[in-house]
Amino acid sequence: MNMALLRRSATYVLLSLAAFISVFPFIWMALGATNKSNDIVTGRLSLGSNLLVNFQNLLAQVDLVRVFGNSFLIAIISTLLTLAVSSLAGYGFEIFRSRVRERVFQLLLLFLSIPFAALMVPLFVLISRAQLNNTFIAVILPTIASIFIIFYFRQATKAFPGDLRDAARVDGLKEWQIFLFVYLPTMRSTYAAATIIVFMGAWNNYLWPLIVLQTPENKTITLVISALTAAYTPDYGVILLATVLATLPTLIIFFVLQRQFVQGMLGAVK
Amino acid sequence: MSSLSLKGIRKSYGSLDVIKGVDLDIKAKEFVVFVGPSGCGKSTLLRMIAGLEPITGGDLNIGGKRMNDVDPSRRGIAMVFQTYALYPHMTVRENMGFALRFAGVAKDQIAKQVNEAARILALEPLLDRLPKELSGGQRQRVAIGRAIVRHPDVFLFDEPLSNLDAELRVHMRIEIARLHRELQATMIYVTHDQVEAMTLADTIVVLRDGRIEQVGRPLELYDNPANQFVAGFIGSPKMNFLSAEIVEKIGASVTIELVKHPGTRLTLPVTGGAVGEKVTLGVRAEHFGLPGKGSVDVTLHVDAAEHLGSTSYVYANSGGELVVIEHEESRHTNGNDRITVSISADKAYLFDSAGQRLR
Repeated sequence: MNMALLRRSATYVLLSLAAFISVFPFIWMALGATNKSNDIVTGRLSLGSNLLVNFQNLLAQVDLVRVFGNSFLIAIISTLLTLAVSSLAGYGFEIFRSRVRERVFQLLLLFLSIPFAALMVPLFVLISRAQLNNTFIAVILPTIASIFIIFYFRQATKAFPGDLRDAARVDGLKEWQIFLFVYLPTMRSTYAAATIIVFMGAWNNYLWPLIVLQTPENKTITLVISALTAAYTPDYGVILLATVLATLPTLIIFFVLQRQFVQGMLGAVK
Repeated sequence: MSSLSLKGIRKSYGSLDVIKGVDLDIKAKEFVVFVGPSGCGKSTLLRMIAGLEPITGGDLNIGGKRMNDVDPSRRGIAMVFQTYALYPHMTVRENMGFALRFAGVAKDQIAKQVNEAARILALEPLLDRLPKELSGGQRQRVAIGRAIVRHPDVFLFDEPLSNLDAELRVHMRIEIARLHRELQATMIYVTHDQVEAMTLADTIVVLRDGRIEQVGRPLELYDNPANQFVAGFIGSPKMNFLSAEIVEKIGASVTIELVKHPGTRLTLPVTGGAVGEKVTLGVRAEHFGLPGKGSVDVTLHVDAAEHLGSTSYVYANSGGELVVIEHEESRHTNGNDRITVSISADKAYLFDSAGQRLR
């Protein structure tokens, strides 16, 4: 056998292995949602017939509409505000010149290295003093100014043609109108990619909501799934079904925006 | 249509002076071309007129009003960019009507003005297309259409044809010249392509290093360049420069000797200059004559020859100085040949060591 064929075969084997490792948890999750807890524990990996029962059990334990409503509300508002504030900041950092611009930006990047665990306690004190504990605002507020998204938009803005801004100025647009009517529609794919990143982050956020949301009626889906696992005898069928349901929105958003996502990511790094 | 006047216009970035005091009067309906090498400040000057770059010093008047600090949209100008700068998410129609929409013009009036501009530029079939569905030439026509729609007093063009291929560039050049005739508008056009400058301009402004070198009609600049820089910049192929030295000065004439051709002497009617002074002899490619038909003959080594059919260019070497020759005999000359040509004193230029014209 010649070397080229051997090399290609090895590549395929490795890629298949990587694909299997990536996809297996999702398959296992989806199959598990149709099985009984006992079957899952014993390692059954085929389609079961317990989906409806699991669903009924989930509904009996969790007010799904409310929990999903909470998660959606937080994720959507958080995404909209984060995109609005952070894209504006990224645009501003790139477009407007100032002597301290680079210093401030470097400082921001430095802040990226501070782990959330270190910010948790002061943030909690801050939120408590503002009497925002156990509100959605408390969950949303700290996420709005995302340094990563500011950085991402600044990088993407480098590809935004300066002539387009000049043409808009000659056409009589004010700076905020240029941002709204020229920059925003031109950078659609960048926004699409950022939407996926921010929405996923907000939807999957666990630690901070766990700290600030105390009452059951305010809980989000991540907190509820976590609570399901904390039972004395956890029902894995129910847990995996809840996990499947929790995964669906991000999956849908990703598939709807994936073309723009890829374009947006390319635009940011080109 | 407005006239423009620039008085002592300066632009600095910190301690770096980019435009170093420009005085210029542009008459209404005039087609003025700013030309110069890269980095000479021509685009910066245009952007200052447009209001896209703040003016550090001096006065800019458009239509008799001082415009230094007036918003770009209120200067009565419209600008066409090298990159077209069309809004990618809008159709041609929306692109063209965008400025009017923001100026609060009524919808039916916008439609009327857009249709009128589309008619002038033959853009009617493209009105509902997006910029990405257009070719380079069509995009540039839309960009010009966007400017026309606004009925500006002054049109500003920033190297509008640089992104087009050679054939399309010629076509668009003719189109722009036609537009100027039709619209009777004041136009300022920036280019580094001196052929565009020569063919389009009523007046050419040659810039170098943030200063105006010469202002004049195209043939005036070609025939009577103020200095060696303008002589070298205007004309294609560019003027040939041969180093020489003044060896004799009698009354109002000097005799020079070509440095690379000892013994080859030429007497020119020049009042300035002194014996021993290093000078530069300027000869245009088409001014070389047949041997014996001029004031003096020189024999050169041919590096290459380009026979274009209607004309031929011979690239010859005069002791390291490149000489381009265009004349009847060129058609039969090839690389590695030797060629003898004559230089006529009445068609030659002479520049001093600082590049100023002596003759």
